[in-house]
Amino acid sequence: MSVSANDNSAKVSVRGFLAKYSVLIAFAVIVILFAVASPTFLTPANLFNVLVNNVVMLAIVALGLTIVISSGGIDLSVGVSVDMASMIFVMLLAAGYGGVVGVAGGLGAALIVGILNAILITRLNISPFLATLGVLFIGQSTQQLATSGGQPIYLTSGYAADQFNAIARTALFGIPTPVLVLIVLVIAVHVLLHRSVFGRYVQAMGAQPGVAWYSGIRVPRELSMVHVLCALLAGVTGILLSSTVKSYVPLSGNAFLLDAIGATFIGTTLSRERKPSVIGTLLGVLLLAIVKNGLLLVGWNFYWQQVGIGVLVFLVLAASFGLRRAAH
Amino acid sequence: MSATVLHTEVGVSDEKQTAAKSAGRRFGALVVRLGAIAAFAAIMAYFVIFAPGFTSTFNLINVVEQSAILGVLAYGMTAVIIGGGSDVTEGGIDLSIAANMGLCAAVYATLLSMGYGDFLSVLAAIAVGMAVGALNALAVVGLGILPLLATLAVLNVAAGMELTLTQNTVVGASSPLLGVLVSGSFLGVSALAWALIVFSAIMIVLVHGTSFGLRLYAVGGHPEAARAAGISVPFYVSFTYVLSGLCAAVAAILTVSRLSASTPGSGELLLSVLAAALLGTVFSRRFVPTMGGTLLSVLFIGLLANGFQLLNVSSYWVNGVQGALILLVVAITSFARGSEGSR
Repeated sequence: MSVSANDNSAKVSVRGFLAKYSVLIAFAVIVILFAVASPTFLTPANLFNVLVNNVVMLAIVALGLTIVISSGGIDLSVGVSVDMASMIFVMLLAAGYGGVVGVAGGLGAALIVGILNAILITRLNISPFLATLGVLFIGQSTQQLATSGGQPIYLTSGYAADQFNAIARTALFGIPTPVLVLIVLVIAVHVLLHRSVFGRYVQAMGAQPGVAWYSGIRVPRELSMVHVLCALLAGVTGILLSSTVKSYVPLSGNAFLLDAIGATFIGTTLSRERKPSVIGTLLGVLLLAIVKNGLLLVGWNFYWQQVGIGVLVFLVLAASFGLRRAAH
Repeated sequence: MSATVLHTEVGVSDEKQTAAKSAGRRFGALVVRLGAIAAFAAIMAYFVIFAPGFTSTFNLINVVEQSAILGVLAYGMTAVIIGGGSDVTEGGIDLSIAANMGLCAAVYATLLSMGYGDFLSVLAAIAVGMAVGALNALAVVGLGILPLLATLAVLNVAAGMELTLTQNTVVGASSPLLGVLVSGSFLGVSALAWALIVFSAIMIVLVHGTSFGLRLYAVGGHPEAARAAGISVPFYVSFTYVLSGLCAAVAAILTVSRLSASTPGSGELLLSVLAAALLGTVFSRRFVPTMGGTLLSVLFIGLLANGFQLLNVSSYWVNGVQGALILLVVAITSFARGSEGSR
């Protein structure tokens, strides 16, 4: 009797282990597969390229979404924050202002999006899903109206392109500036979400909104903070984006939305309670970035890459959720 | 009738409510519903007076035609939300529905251009749509993946397969069926408009006129209670995802007929589909998703775009006004809910 019971629990814990680490295992397997299939995959130059071009911007947006999803909400308007920051940043530079004013203006634009979300959600009691969906629509219109239907704004060398280059194309201690920005933000958000009182409040609101309210947490204030932070982080991505491509392309921020949501939720498979975490989100972003890059190196065309990513994410989720269900 | 009974049953909260309180609640809900409908009516009245040709039969049929594709998709989304519950992150949602439509349209147009007949091509499109729906159902019901996440992965698969199939190009298509859909008419109403009318009738009867629909609401509202009552929750939830896939396939055939081709970029419809399904809840007595409410909000979105066009307002405003209206309507709704003191 007792032997079989032990046997069972051992089996269960193996399954639990597999469920918990399925993302990590998938990650390792994928890296090995690509390393075997493509000689360039594991070279420092390629990994560096993946980090700068595929990881940094998505990761920063995903950090913001991690905070929002931890609080039990969602932000569908992160693309708008990216775009508005990018738009104001580029417009200010094009008008001859310096880099500092540009960055401040860009972040200010994202801040306004965040405050708008916060007011709609905490003052008008609109569900985060609908509030941010509405802001998404309004943001799209605003951009179309501001750019006569979606004309990109290019920064040619005639403008203040020197300060412009200063952000995306410089390095400190040999580390490119965007990567440095990411490192700082990862540490900051990790501390904020997992080591601070604010983080406790956010987690409490996500787990038990009613209880959080009754235990004296100022839910509206903390929730406003959550949405403002998310918009600001997306704004940082907007500035990095336009300083990388030297232009503002209207409605381009939305491309981050689904990937960032995907990365955050892939990250939740690391925790038993399916809570989002900064580490998990980073892992999700890395997984998506590595797969995109690997499929490209193996020679799959762009169209098949999308199928490949979909199938892969599906399999990882199936493994994690399915194994955990079996373990219970 | 039966749906109304269910709403009352599902809506009875734990605490006993005094007659006065429930009367107040009913009154508050009534005010909001009337307020939302009055806002819609005011906008319509403005268009009737100031937009030239707005009320002409030709124009109104045109709006219904334009709304057909969004409407069919929104029905699929509504069914999924009814069956899965309307929680933000854990409730039912089908993010893959627009991409699925794109894939079905690509399959349909490609098969037609390869010389297969209407019968086989339509059958294949419907099979593909329902297969994608079944994949969603497998992920959500079989594997227990969050709907938001499962359908997000399937979105990528469907969108990627559409791109692979069409190489991101326009695939022209023509066939007898498409000919009928484009130029056929009956009683002065065009075929596309009929498609929306017939499809609406089927969905409204299925969800609001049968015991099946009643159980579907039970499954979405109170899965535990539904299970205890002997309803097979997995079956009903799976059904909604497959139905959503079927809606995607039907919408695909309509969109190919409207454009005489399958075109890339159908994924952009997703947000409008979501908006239509969620906005529709305002028209129901208890603010739950209903097929009738979805139809009204789809027509409203269609009339809004059309009225702007006739008034010569730049189309860039349409999204923004749509977004602002969603916020306005939902804010009023949640205000009324809050003042009910139901917390």
